[in-house]
Amino acid sequence: MNNNRTEKIIKVVNSLGVHARPAAMIVRAMQKYDAHVYLIYNGNRRNAKSVLQILSLGAPKDSEILAIAEGKDAHSALQELEDIFESGFGEE
Amino acid sequence: MWEHDLQINFRKRGSIPVASLFRESVFAELGLKIIAGFQGIRREVLTADVNRPGLALTGYLEYFANDRIQVLGNTEIHYLERLSPSEIENRLQYMFSFEIPAFLLSRSLVPPQIFLDICNRHGVPVLQSNLTTDQVISKVILFLAEKFAPETTIHGTVVDCYGIGVVIVGESGIGKSETALELVERGHRLVVDDVVRLRKGIEDVVIAESDPQLEHYMHIRGIGVVDVLSVYGAGRIRRRKQVGLIIELVEKMEDYHIIIDIWPEKEILNVKVPYLKVPVGPGRNLAVIVEAAALKCRMRELGIDIDQKFSERSKHATTYYQNL
Repeated sequence: MNNNRTEKIIKVVNSLGVHARPAAMIVRAMQKYDAHVYLIYNGNRRNAKSVLQILSLGAPKDSEILAIAEGKDAHSALQELEDIFESGFGEE
Repeated sequence: MWEHDLQINFRKRGSIPVASLFRESVFAELGLKIIAGFQGIRREVLTADVNRPGLALTGYLEYFANDRIQVLGNTEIHYLERLSPSEIENRLQYMFSFEIPAFLLSRSLVPPQIFLDICNRHGVPVLQSNLTTDQVISKVILFLAEKFAPETTIHGTVVDCYGIGVVIVGESGIGKSETALELVERGHRLVVDDVVRLRKGIEDVVIAESDPQLEHYMHIRGIGVVDVLSVYGAGRIRRRKQVGLIIELVEKMEDYHIIIDIWPEKEILNVKVPYLKVPVGPGRNLAVIVEAAALKCRMRELGIDIDQKFSERSKHATTYYQNL
């Protein structure tokens, strides 16, 4: 499982932060990867494939989240995750 | 995986700011007010205990427990009232050579004006509660013990099943939330789904709590968010529950227990908790299994060990036939 491990610091750019809709977007995107994806914010580590877990991070605008992916498609998972965050989840 | 979470999310606070007293329910319970030293509100409390600084006020500062909240009751205030302003100033200057988080007055007592002035000058918060000294002390200690308790967060679901706090863990998608939903449907109470906060209680127990954002919400694949409070009612939720049993759902039938002669345990926050591994398979009604496991746990708490009774009986039977 640990054959491929990547991590990235990702910034929240939209003004509402990671609320329910973005959390659902993240889960939808991450579910198709085999890799385990985790988000770490404020010392809390949460599974990026669970809406409630992502919401419990309570990450506001400008917060920096450490994303970790483990698995053979870890690299592309993180790439897509970063793109989603950068797009501001299609919000302002 | 959940055991990995236990370690990764482990935390234990070394200090908490005085300001946190104002953020939680203890604030209303104490009827808390701040009457001086506002600027020191971020001072840190380092110990989950309080101190009555009677001796320190007389000038005896050896073994002065300065890192605690200093509770002033009738005795201390009456003593202070007998001192002259310059004496009070001297004694406080002495005490302030140590870092003090805050003074806390019970019974809405008001200290002499000079006391407040000096605290204002040094930025030592002076708080006031309308409760008696005993009540203040017990409430503050309870609050601090909770804040300083080691805690962690795991991925799982907690249901209060027949009075036993059952933590259901297992890989994503194995059916934790679905099992919990069925248990709720059968009349049990949901504590939390998905993000479980575990905190060590004052005695050797583990308390499971919900993340405040997720309270009484569940997430079920395919149907989205379920609000248990509004759909099933207030009788089907609770905020926190002592953990009595951990059930891990596993996909493969591997080393599960055939007879539980010794209850397996897992260590959470240095507390041993009964632990069962339950294989998931087609046609298995997990909610019923969790119920049976909780009841078994309950029987054990009542001093009745079903497996032991069963094996005693079988021993009896085998020896009986042998002697015929």
